[in-house]
Amino acid sequence: MSKLTTGSFSIEDLESVQITINNIVGAAKEAAEEAKELGPMGPTPFPGIATLRDWSFTLFDRYEPVYTPMCDQCCYCTFGPCNLEGNKRGACGIDMKGQAAREFFLRCITGCACHSAHGRHLLNHIIELFGEEMPINMGASNVIAPNIQLVTGRQPKTLGDLKPIMEYVEEELGQMLATIHAGQEGAAIDYDNKSMLAGILDHVGMEVSDIAQVTALGFPKSDPDVPLVQVGMGTIDPKKPTIIAIGHNVAGVTYIMDYMEDNDLTDKMEIGGLCCTAFDMTRYKREDRQAPYAKIVGSLAKELKIVRSGIPDVIVLDEQCVRADLVQEGQKLKIPVIASNDKIMYGLPDRTNDDVDAIIEDIKSGAIPGCVMLDYDKLGELVPRIAMEMAPIRDAEGLTAIPSDEEMKVLVGKCAECGECKIACPEELDIPEAMAAAKEGDINALEALHDLCVGCRRCEQVCNKDIPILDVIEKAALKAISEEKGLVRAGRGQVSDAEIRAEGLNLVMGTTPGVIAIIGCANYPAGSKDVYNIAEEFLKRNYLLVVSGCSAMDIGMYKDEDGKTLYERFPGRFEKGNILNTGSCVSNSHISGTVHKVAAIFAGRNLSGNLAEIADYSLTRVGAVGLAWGAYSQKAAAIGTGCNMYGIPAVLGPHSSKYRRALIAKNYDESKWKVYDGRNGQEMAIPPAPEFLITTAETWQETCVILAKNCIRPSDNNMGRSIKLTHWMELSEKYLGVMPDDWWKYVRHEADLPLSKREELLKKLESEHGWEIDWKKKKIISGPAIKFDVSAQPTNLKRLCKEA
Amino acid sequence: MVDTTKNTKLFTTYGVKTSKAITTEIAAKMISKAKRPLFVIGTAGLTPEVLDRAVKIAKAANLPIAATGSSMLGFVDKDVDAKYINVHQLGFYLTDPNWPGLDGNGNYDTIITLGHYKYYINQVLTATKNFTNVKSISIDKNYIQNATMSFGNLSREDHIAALDEVIDLL
Repeated sequence: MSKLTTGSFSIEDLESVQITINNIVGAAKEAAEEAKELGPMGPTPFPGIATLRDWSFTLFDRYEPVYTPMCDQCCYCTFGPCNLEGNKRGACGIDMKGQAAREFFLRCITGCACHSAHGRHLLNHIIELFGEEMPINMGASNVIAPNIQLVTGRQPKTLGDLKPIMEYVEEELGQMLATIHAGQEGAAIDYDNKSMLAGILDHVGMEVSDIAQVTALGFPKSDPDVPLVQVGMGTIDPKKPTIIAIGHNVAGVTYIMDYMEDNDLTDKMEIGGLCCTAFDMTRYKREDRQAPYAKIVGSLAKELKIVRSGIPDVIVLDEQCVRADLVQEGQKLKIPVIASNDKIMYGLPDRTNDDVDAIIEDIKSGAIPGCVMLDYDKLGELVPRIAMEMAPIRDAEGLTAIPSDEEMKVLVGKCAECGECKIACPEELDIPEAMAAAKEGDINALEALHDLCVGCRRCEQVCNKDIPILDVIEKAALKAISEEKGLVRAGRGQVSDAEIRAEGLNLVMGTTPGVIAIIGCANYPAGSKDVYNIAEEFLKRNYLLVVSGCSAMDIGMYKDEDGKTLYERFPGRFEKGNILNTGSCVSNSHISGTVHKVAAIFAGRNLSGNLAEIADYSLTRVGAVGLAWGAYSQKAAAIGTGCNMYGIPAVLGPHSSKYRRALIAKNYDESKWKVYDGRNGQEMAIPPAPEFLITTAETWQETCVILAKNCIRPSDNNMGRSIKLTHWMELSEKYLGVMPDDWWKYVRHEADLPLSKREELLKKLESEHGWEIDWKKKKIISGPAIKFDVSAQPTNLKRLCKEA
Repeated sequence: MVDTTKNTKLFTTYGVKTSKAITTEIAAKMISKAKRPLFVIGTAGLTPEVLDRAVKIAKAANLPIAATGSSMLGFVDKDVDAKYINVHQLGFYLTDPNWPGLDGNGNYDTIITLGHYKYYINQVLTATKNFTNVKSISIDKNYIQNATMSFGNLSREDHIAALDEVIDLL
């Protein structure tokens, strides 16, 4: 019997009968078999939990798991709660390290599931609209799905080719989720291996999501000259009926935008977004570089603030990073909430099958606070019409939570400065001090809290005087909020193969000092300007900046003395001294994909099913470091961990220590800093860089020093190493006031030394470290522990060595 | 004397074990009797009034300083033995008996913490609390549950007064 495949076919002799097979049971396994036949194929297509364990363990040997448990207790099963403090074992036998690793793993699979479920939803939706045969179009590149190709070995050509990829991810997610159960896994290190798998599958899921929407929804395709987008709370004209979309999945919102366009409403009303739906709204049908009319309000930290402002006339939710109290908050100000995705229904009545006019009447009358609407055709009409109907009603009532001047005085006067809010505040903001100053008529301190505040309202819930503290802060910051108008470059999607070819050599030799990827959420330790400061510092130093998501938005919120944002000052190509925005959360896959492409396109390595080799290449040769300064979500944990498995280190902000697990190397243990030379399999010493795969830092200034140092790679040529050492030393002196203690460990040859300091540093090498210097020639005669050999082929994988 | 043990209120808990709230006398005694102490000072230690006390404590007790975050800026030219290290990295290295320390003379038996985000140092200290015998003494203005011993929650004024008492007692 011939093998069944997906597609349509007719049966001979039967007229008007066509059979369509959409899916084959067991397609993922079948695809895995087929992938092996595609060739050239690496050793690990469609990996399961055990497949890449050797590579994980190779990484863990140098980058040891560091556990910082959130809680002494385990409360998973009915044996417990168990006190694991001091690394005790619980009733089931698991110890504290195992439990901490399990908790971290849970975050990674949650993040992976979130992106992948997003991808599945988008893919199904888009295939329903455009069909499985629609060719994937990511712009002018041959490597169009580097994460998918690397992990699964497949090279999808059509939207339908993405279905077995999703099936594979979903199958592995099920297998991994099962190991959370009591009595399934006990070794911390094996939970860590599973976290790494969850991380790479997260990138696969993200890639499927963005490929589907870039292909079918008219998003920019590897375009360095995408338009600029307005960003900030001050960009919304409060006089117009306003739709605010919150979440990450743009599928439903596209119908709203279509309705607005079809009915000539785009200049009569506002549509703004928070979190990544906002980015994708500004990418929708903008491959022609037209300036988007949709605006980006900001990150998760702005959700409650924009609602309390009273500006939205309707809120439409999809999925991910949506506050759980928006219905209640909206109700207070008569802002209807429409849930458009079945992952978030918030107890609202499901009116999917009802008439739009009837729903609008129920909302206007206050009979319902909003509804679930899963029919996108109706959603497209419903949401703009609600905004138009509710705007005059809400305007007439002057609905806002922001207090009047008189109310403000009363509220501030009520504060007893008891300090409860300060203890509850996750940012440890000195609210009582600001309140005390406000009582005296000085609201500057309260105003300053606006940018530091993440809008969580923990303070309000513990206030003994029932002061709406967030509203008081926002009142004090009204002027600053109205001036919050920035620009961000719209998401461009992937980096093209041609750009990789042009820049690859600079990256591997180190003459482009590094790629700094600033991604993630807005749970910053000291306000949103940190990410701008970091980005500016590295752009001025000619690093290559890649950004995405909420960080990309916040970078665009600040301007120089000429009133220009970084996106106006620096272009958007994949070249040193550029800042390119890949797009929304799922566009993070293009950042990891870019690193894979360097190995595949520049170095000619086989990408298909060849994860360990490509990751090894990236770890030893590509000076790329990720920064998720405000990471709060499980998705961010998964993204970072996927990067780690791919050989890309990541720095996180101090809040991210709460993820419970880092990967940090012992920079003092020389036995850990050896690799093989691929030419002959002999061991070769390498400098202790990168020093971590995932860690946290305390301040943005410290982060600048860490990022510069950890762009160093064994493959740097002399000029590259010299440039990298120059920046690291300068940043250390600028932000820490001192030269780094360990700079000399990275010196292999006098040509590695920064030109401007060469003589001074040679003296130090001689006097402080006992190196022998030929002063006539100004050359190092002896001393370096690491030899410089431009032809060396550093690798952590013995099997890649010629004589292995 | 400032009552540094009074307010140990928490908004959330890290579990069963909580830090022992200590007086300034106990803090000074613990610092003095440590055989191999390390003074771990974060970036919030850069405020002039805290920095001044930190330097005085380091000098009075002859404490080497691990300057975390960007606090190193404050110790340049202060005639103290200060070195930069990332605090998460430090938390990990403290769990390794073979760590040579910042001076090459080996790991530490006691760390004294000051000038940190409450949430960050609490998280870092879970490593020392659960996986080492290193004692941690917080002399910060917030009650740090995961330290071995800690001051309670203090106002800024009381905190400075408490640090002055520690200096006098050393």
